[in-house]
Amino acid sequence: MSQYNVIGTRAPRVDAPDKATGRAVFVDDMKMPGMLFGALLQSPYAHARIRGIDVSAAKRLPGVKAVVTAKEAGLVRFGVSPARYDETLFCSDKVRHVGDNVAAVAAVDLETAMEAVSLIKVDYEELPAVFTIEEALADGAPLVHEEYPRNICAEVHQEFGDVEAAFKECDLIKTSSLTSKLQNCAFLEPQACIAFYDHWGSLTLYTSTQTPHYVQRTVAMVLGLPVGKVRVVKPYTGGGFGAKASASHLELAACLLSMKAGKPVKMRFDREQVFWHGRSRHQFFHTMTTGVKKDGTILALKNECYLNGGAYCSFGIATVYYAGSLLGGPYKLPNMKYDGYRLYTNLPASGAQRGHGGVIARSCWEQQLDMIAEELGMDPIELRLKNVMTAGDVTCNDLNMSSLGMKEAIEVVRDASDWNNKKGKLPKGKGIGMACGFFVSGAGYPIYRSDTYHCTVVVKLAEDGGTAVVYTASAEIGQGSDTTFAMIAAEALGVPLEMVRVESGDTDFGVDLGAYSSRQTLMTGQATKEAAEDAKRQVLEVLSKELNIPVEDMDIKNGLVVFKNTKPDFTALRTRYQKEHRGWIDNPGAEEELSFREASRIAYLARGTIVGTGKYRPPELGGKFKGAAVGTSPAYGCSAQVAEVSVDEGTGKITVEKMVDAHDCGRAINRTSVEGQMQGSISMALGEALFEEVKFDDKGRILNADLAEYKIPTILDMPKVDARIVESNEPNGPFGAKEVGEGNIVPTIAAILNAVYDAIGVRIHELPLTPERVYLALQEYKNKSKTKS
Amino acid sequence: MKKIIRLTVNNEEHQLAVEPNQTLLDMLRDQLGLTGAKKGCEMGECGACTVIMDGITVNSCLVLAMQANGKRITTIEGLETEQGLHPIQKAFIEKGAIQCGFCTSGMILSAKVLLDKNPKPTEEEIRSALSGNLCRCTGYQKIVEAVQSVSEDDVGPARQES
Amino acid sequence: MLLPKFDFHEPTTVAEACQIIAEYREKAGILAGGTDLLVAMKKKQISPQHLVSIGRIDELRKLDSSSGMLKIGACFTVADTAASEVIGKKWGALRAGARALGSPQIRNLATIGGNLVSASSAADLPGSLISYGARVVLTSTSKTRVVPLDQFFLGSRRTEIGYDEILTEIQIDEPPPYSGAGYISLGIRASQDIKIVNVASFITLDSSGKTIRNARIVLGCVGPTHLRAASAEKLLIGEGPSEAVFAKAAEAAIRDSAPRGARYSRASAGYKRAMVGELTRRTLGIAWKEALE
Ligand code: FES
Ligand code: FES
Repeated sequence: MSQYNVIGTRAPRVDAPDKATGRAVFVDDMKMPGMLFGALLQSPYAHARIRGIDVSAAKRLPGVKAVVTAKEAGLVRFGVSPARYDETLFCSDKVRHVGDNVAAVAAVDLETAMEAVSLIKVDYEELPAVFTIEEALADGAPLVHEEYPRNICAEVHQEFGDVEAAFKECDLIKTSSLTSKLQNCAFLEPQACIAFYDHWGSLTLYTSTQTPHYVQRTVAMVLGLPVGKVRVVKPYTGGGFGAKASASHLELAACLLSMKAGKPVKMRFDREQVFWHGRSRHQFFHTMTTGVKKDGTILALKNECYLNGGAYCSFGIATVYYAGSLLGGPYKLPNMKYDGYRLYTNLPASGAQRGHGGVIARSCWEQQLDMIAEELGMDPIELRLKNVMTAGDVTCNDLNMSSLGMKEAIEVVRDASDWNNKKGKLPKGKGIGMACGFFVSGAGYPIYRSDTYHCTVVVKLAEDGGTAVVYTASAEIGQGSDTTFAMIAAEALGVPLEMVRVESGDTDFGVDLGAYSSRQTLMTGQATKEAAEDAKRQVLEVLSKELNIPVEDMDIKNGLVVFKNTKPDFTALRTRYQKEHRGWIDNPGAEEELSFREASRIAYLARGTIVGTGKYRPPELGGKFKGAAVGTSPAYGCSAQVAEVSVDEGTGKITVEKMVDAHDCGRAINRTSVEGQMQGSISMALGEALFEEVKFDDKGRILNADLAEYKIPTILDMPKVDARIVESNEPNGPFGAKEVGEGNIVPTIAAILNAVYDAIGVRIHELPLTPERVYLALQEYKNKSKTKS
Repeated sequence: MKKIIRLTVNNEEHQLAVEPNQTLLDMLRDQLGLTGAKKGCEMGECGACTVIMDGITVNSCLVLAMQANGKRITTIEGLETEQGLHPIQKAFIEKGAIQCGFCTSGMILSAKVLLDKNPKPTEEEIRSALSGNLCRCTGYQKIVEAVQSVSEDDVGPARQES
Repeated sequence: MLLPKFDFHEPTTVAEACQIIAEYREKAGILAGGTDLLVAMKKKQISPQHLVSIGRIDELRKLDSSSGMLKIGACFTVADTAASEVIGKKWGALRAGARALGSPQIRNLATIGGNLVSASSAADLPGSLISYGARVVLTSTSKTRVVPLDQFFLGSRRTEIGYDEILTEIQIDEPPPYSGAGYISLGIRASQDIKIVNVASFITLDSSGKTIRNARIVLGCVGPTHLRAASAEKLLIGEGPSEAVFAKAAEAAIRDSAPRGARYSRASAGYKRAMVGELTRRTLGIAWKEALE
């Protein structure tokens, strides 16, 4: 039996019934009286000077209520990291990518708004553009931002230990590379929002976002409003995965239009605009060199990475740091050197996507580790077990593995996949491969430099004592956080789950940095736990006075007050409660235990509304070097995965037949949700490994800005995922919990790459593994072996 | 120019004036307030707008409202009855087949049409019936399990998966 | 994505439909399943001022195999094609194409006629239909004409259909005894895919099963329209069926194909050519097996 009543169960999600019946309300489902519709004018050119904008015809169109450009919006610069605020709401001097934002219109309906947009005349002077890393770095290349010479948005140079000295001691040094392609988060719900500005000067923004708090701050800053006058509310949100983790031009434009028109304004991206907005996984070019001893001990890693960043920085500074720092674990690695460059190009900006910065780096390295194992004549699992970190280890770049079930996870997938009987023993065309990874459980620092709490939570007990309401500004975006916090609050209060209600995603409920960097379960979870415990303590304090029993001798469990010593006579309390609830048909009977409901009602009568508060801010984490903050976290989740594939050598088509996955999420709050995150992240990684790539023409226009040609996996592409939860007890997490949302995506691509090699004997160093790429690699290999023999 | 159409939606008859260029999806969402069908792509690529029309699933973003004249439409809102939720809805809730929920309406309706015709589908049949509904959150596995659990319930607890 | 404005017409007979399009000519667009047309309209690639829905014309939805010939109404859906027992039994390659097309929801709406009229060489139905020697019936107010399908496609998005004509029926003769056909389309993912290459092969053997008497091989995605692999067909006729002969035919089919090496195409010309060979070999194998059954 678990020591917990709610934690660790498979409780159905609190939002599932409404989602199963179509009742759950997403922004695009909302309407407000007098609501206008907005539309954006976006650049058709990748790089062009704006010589003039003529909005007169648009303004004259009947039904148009407001037209805004940079003139109305002003030029307040914003972005994600304050060090690179490089965007304005609308472009004034030039546009920097196809889809860059130039103007917006609000009108009585969408049709009119779109027509008005088409009537805006922009005088563009096309400029030469850069699309690739090479073009961006070339001598005399056009600059995307004049302030950034050579188009370098950010660069990182770090060395821990002494890599060159370590290489001298190595028996084997291996270099390899991996190139990926631009990705799209491809959530099912395109971004949408409704902004409403009232006469009191308050702005309410309903929006599909991962980070209400960051959106609130950005809107306030850009539009010059006090933070307290901006309220951001997130209704149900249809996935985010990173691209909804910062304020968008859509949101800012809707707010400005509502301020101008004095009416609610709804705006939404169509699917094509989702792609233009981008802010998903960068394109990475990694080259790595690893040195090992004969016995497999890893001594040093040299990592060089170029990132195609697109026209704006977005999350890019963090991304370029993560692409180095997230290789510090989960293997003991005493020496690590990293050089990373993020380049500006005239493509839509890249940002963060699930497994931020760590996915391609990990894919490159884990493939290389397999190459090393092969050369050493070691089993890949043996190599990994040889080097694996355990709880308490600290990486060379100062990341503290306060709990780490990496070894256990490797052993679980080894056994569950029947690795020892399969590795190297499958028929030709079939292969098995494995890889590991780890990820932060919440960024150690907010995206803007600040001592802010990362989250504050309020637990309020209803006056009748029967319900506890959790108020949190955190973002339920599909991952199940509302359910997680309901479970944490229920456990901490000692009540059944049904007695808890979660109200989330509203900046009026407090501060919460939101759903990114896999932070909410640990951080908001801690704050929720603290708030619930605070409320419980207050109830017990009142009870203690009434019954004359020390607080320590009481507890609340399963909705009942537990008296650790002798049960007191509480009939007086009960009578009081019942008198106040005459006519109620569910009053407790004479023989029953004292209930939480009664106790909390009595507490209300004594003290007024019982409000428990909780907050969380990680302790100071990480080293003192430049960029030491990126990668820090109070805890790290980790996973090991085994992929089995078959390759049709005639066509190059890969089928992933099975995945075995073990993830250490600390203590699983909700086992079903943990598995759901594991299975879901594998499908995203499988798409990235095999199909997904945003393609451009030579003018920087996206060729596949849709869900037909940008191919995310269908149900027929997905294998069975055998998801195994490995539990550790994370000292810094609520009830021992840590992340699962992102860490689990990290090993998948490499596991597939390694399985493909096992199947066909060819290493592939470029993603995605389309049939063509695999086929051509096979042909090249066959030709080479022909000339050799 | 608007024209009047008559159709049955979730067993209720409606008479509505619609524009020729209005899709069934927009009509359901804007005129009837049935927002369970979602707009994921509006191009027939994602299945979020799936509804049942005369017994078959269609992408309502690719059907003109006028083409639905005289048809019987079932949306996700029509599955819940006075007896409660449809067994497939219950199974999706129980099995954890729902994350963000944006694909859910379409998934459940595709599953319903499958199970109406084929109460005991194989896993392959389930996957193929749901292959027009994209989900970016779940990896589909718990969706498959949910549909399987409904078809298993049908034959009672006697059948054991080995 | 809004649809452009148009007038909507919903005739209930072919004659009525012909009259409407005769009146509006190039201003009219014909709406069957809508899965291609409405998408093109939303993307503003086309904006017909008059949309003529033929979905309520009963005579266009029939399937008739009573005369030894299969007659399929233009509005017979792809889903029904995939599910039809008679098609599955005698025209298995057509069923394979229907099953490979789009998604269940798309197959429920899409029609066989629409898949032909769209005139895309990536489409999944023309290949097998051409390999079976299918014909299409084009109807206008003044006349009805029957055009062999392999003369129907003039180029990408261009067909024999005149402004005043409607494709009303597809006709396929019953394959002679000892015949078989195979169809494979190679895509990237397992469903809802637009394909990289598709190949349909049809062969007829003599009664001993030892000699190929007739062969038709149709290649998709390697030219503006579906192509016949003429030299591969010639090579097969008179030969005995074998993996070795099929491999030779595959080589010939590669030479018969003319994929564009366009930078923005779904795959390189070299890969497409290689796949023409591979799929030709595989579909001939399927056809052979079926011919012996
Ligand atoms: S919205 Fe209709 S299929 Fe995507
Ligand atoms: S649950 Fe989010 S798309 Fe399926």
